[in-house]
Amino acid sequence: MALMINADCVNCAACEPECPNSAISAGDPVYVIDSDKCTECVGYFAESQCIDACPVECIIPNPERVETKEQLQRKFEQLLTAES
Amino acid sequence: MSTAALSKKDFESDQDVRWCPGCGDYMVLAQLQQLLPTLGIARENFVFISGIGCSSRFPYYMNTYGMHGIHGRAPAIASGLKLARPELSVWVVTGDGDALAIGGNHFIHAMRRNVDVKIILLNNRIYGLTKGQYSPTSEQGKKTRSTPAGSIDRPFNPVALALGAGASFVARTVDNDLALMGQVLARAAAHRGTAFVEVLQNCMVFNDGAYRAITDKATRNDARLVLEQGQPLVFGKEKDRGIRLCGLEPQVVRLGEAGVTKADLLVHDERQAHAVLAGLLAQLPAPQFPVPLGVFRAVIEPAYDEMNSRLHEQACTSKGRGNLGRLLNGGDIWTIEQPALGAHHGFDD
Repeated sequence: MALMINADCVNCAACEPECPNSAISAGDPVYVIDSDKCTECVGYFAESQCIDACPVECIIPNPERVETKEQLQRKFEQLLTAES
Repeated sequence: MSTAALSKKDFESDQDVRWCPGCGDYMVLAQLQQLLPTLGIARENFVFISGIGCSSRFPYYMNTYGMHGIHGRAPAIASGLKLARPELSVWVVTGDGDALAIGGNHFIHAMRRNVDVKIILLNNRIYGLTKGQYSPTSEQGKKTRSTPAGSIDRPFNPVALALGAGASFVARTVDNDLALMGQVLARAAAHRGTAFVEVLQNCMVFNDGAYRAITDKATRNDARLVLEQGQPLVFGKEKDRGIRLCGLEPQVVRLGEAGVTKADLLVHDERQAHAVLAGLLAQLPAPQFPVPLGVFRAVIEPAYDEMNSRLHEQACTSKGRGNLGRLLNGGDIWTIEQPALGAHHGFDD
């Protein structure tokens, strides 16, 4: 499933440059993850880079976007195609 | 202005926050912006004062009154402000360099005087703003740009220093534990007198991992101990270890082993009139012992600003209100009267 940032976010921006899909941006009141672009790093890394980078552990799976590994892989491929 | 409707947003200024991504400063900023609207104090009665360093950018980001002061002198400015305007809630945000190197003198005197000012020290054990030189809290052997062969300086322990200087409220927390930081800051806000809070804080760029053992999920519960008033000193992921005293020596013991029970452990008492237990906890060496977090000491002592107000009132009652203009324009000639022969001259007192 795609990831989301909860209300504990302190807007430190540590996650933003780590995202290989450029899915993270500054929001109001806290940073947000674009579910359509988040693959949990499937296609790029074994671990979700934003979760590793977040110092306050506020990035969690988005219960409203339940996706399997295969679906995330397809999303990754679609994003690549769209980019090229 | 009504305080009921205040929210976190009201304390966020329109300035772009310019710390490095991932810096612990963001965590302190967010917790303070969350705490202040709950205190029932009008926004215009808050003042944030800082010196120099990354931490000292704080006043720009708080939508309150503030002053970016000179290096190390924030406690002096804050003390003066609190004496002149006792109704204000005065906060100092400082760092390990600002408070303990150039500002060391101001720091200890703020601790002993007990002016009702809150002092938050963001301790990342490095000079970040000047790009990575060792600070007064850098550990011995630390290699930095100014200590390429490793630091030979013995570091300050800010909590022990504050206790030694007689502070009435001393606490320590860590940047990424937002809940604990919120609780500790709320306790500091409620304290009447100087409240000192050390925040152990990571510097992603120049001292990354400074407190890894107590922040990492895998190790933190074994490497730290959260102090709770009246509770035995228990720690560990399984809450199965504790600290007891053997004479004057603290020991880590395992509960259930060799008949050790919770009843054998030291019990935390932040209200001791003396600071013996707090001092002992502050100086527990890591990693042999866990790092204590929470409130070490919280005792009620007369606040300097209250005593000063009383002095002022007494002087006005006995001598009448002063007149600064008359004092300044009072002339520069005065007479020293010769004491009568044999009178006590007072120099030997």
